[in-house]
Amino acid sequence: MERELIDVDMSMKFDNLSVLEDIKFKVHENEFLVIVGPTGCGKTTLARLLGGLSKPSSGHVTIAGEDVNPKIHNVSFVFQEPSCIPWLTIWDDISMGLEIKGNNPQTAETKARIKEVIKLVGLDGFEEYFPKQISGGMKQRVAIARAYATKPDFLLMDEPFGHLDAQTRYLMQIEIMRIWEREKKTVAYITNNIEEAVYLATRIIVLSKLPARIKAEHSINLPRPRDLTGPDFLRIRAEITEQCEVVG
Amino acid sequence: MANDKNAGSGKLGTFGYNALALSIFILLWTIVSWISESLFLPTPWTVLKSFLDLCTYGDVEGISLGMHIFKSTLRIFAGFVAACILGIPLGILMGLYPRVYDSTKSVIEPIRFIPPVAWIPLVIVLLVGFSRYAFIIWLGAFFPIFIGTLLSVRSVNPTHIDVPRSFGAKRLYIIRKIVIPSTLPDIFTGMRVGMGIGWDCIMAAEMIGGENEGLGVMILKYAELIRIEDIMVGMIVIGAIGFFINEIFIFVERRVFKWKEAIVIS
Repeated sequence: MERELIDVDMSMKFDNLSVLEDIKFKVHENEFLVIVGPTGCGKTTLARLLGGLSKPSSGHVTIAGEDVNPKIHNVSFVFQEPSCIPWLTIWDDISMGLEIKGNNPQTAETKARIKEVIKLVGLDGFEEYFPKQISGGMKQRVAIARAYATKPDFLLMDEPFGHLDAQTRYLMQIEIMRIWEREKKTVAYITNNIEEAVYLATRIIVLSKLPARIKAEHSINLPRPRDLTGPDFLRIRAEITEQCEVVG
Repeated sequence: MANDKNAGSGKLGTFGYNALALSIFILLWTIVSWISESLFLPTPWTVLKSFLDLCTYGDVEGISLGMHIFKSTLRIFAGFVAACILGIPLGILMGLYPRVYDSTKSVIEPIRFIPPVAWIPLVIVLLVGFSRYAFIIWLGAFFPIFIGTLLSVRSVNPTHIDVPRSFGAKRLYIIRKIVIPSTLPDIFTGMRVGMGIGWDCIMAAEMIGGENEGLGVMILKYAELIRIEDIMVGMIVIGAIGFFINEIFIFVERRVFKWKEAIVIS
């Protein structure tokens, strides 16, 4: 097991509404952690807390021992909502994170990195396009490339394919695995899709209904690429589905 | 995927239809004025002759139409520029700090609903010369620009703000890279509306200006003489200049905001 990078031990309330209760887990380096939970259980709230976009009402989220803060730590976030900036070309959009992290977008080094991630997500040739000219799946590739470009220590993905149709979603899952295997990162991936969770994860955390608590944890040791119809895959999937209270 | 193919052929078609609509309008106008045989409804050709006379010989006081146009445009331009200089930064500022707007609303909002024309008596007493025109037009143009900017800043897509924030961007970077570009199309729309209201106010402003030049003044002069064809020249010129300026705005919008999904033209 690799060393622990992220330490989470917190609760979150909005006024009197308790959203997350006693959420306690660690994320290990180069792990692909998937957090699943039923719709409306506070997954996005958890993602924002992990990314340092908001602060917990009690407890902490630390990265290498320090409270997570995007101004200090190299974290990246892939949003659930379409997040391409409409007035930026694909190239400029992807370079945004690098620029904020203090890299001059005009230097050869930065340009090389942008080219590299564009190639990684398969968007070569679309550098000068605007978001309105590309498809939904391509827009999510831009968001992933933007997040990858800064070589983050911790990458957060909040239902990144939630808006895509089933087929594009499936292709993007294969893609994200290919990218992750090429450039290993510590990932926390949030979803309500259990098949997706079992397909991607090295470990799965299952959340309960609101207020969310950790209900179960699974290490997934199936060989990759995973067979969506294999007996082990289906067994794990059924088990998590039951815990997720999606059925019955 | 964007479908730009129709835009090109559509443009040519639009131009053709507009030429046709204009011809039909002129034809109907001619027919109606022939049938009515009224002195108060001149034919387009009489109006055209008046237009040419006003261009070459000037009005009853010998002031040419060009001079009237120049003076009115200058006044509108002054009021409009002042409205932009004040309205845009103030709108951005108050949009970014909603508490400033919320706690000064009781001053700003009632002023917005006072028609510029209602200010005329006060303006006559308090201001002189050029400042009278500029103030009335500024009043008309300021609020659409200010309110348009303010509301637009408040409605920036929160995800677009979260993107740089998730990388730890500073406030100024977010304003420069996200808030301002996102607000620009609405600022532009506010400017277009403000320009339109500026033209609405020119008549009122020139009624009190006490000068002999200006399209509004010219209309008033011929109103006293009941010379309808010359009044109509003034009306049409005001309309045509407004149309022309609006088209320039739309042309610039199309160029600058080519990233937009669709441009709403009102």
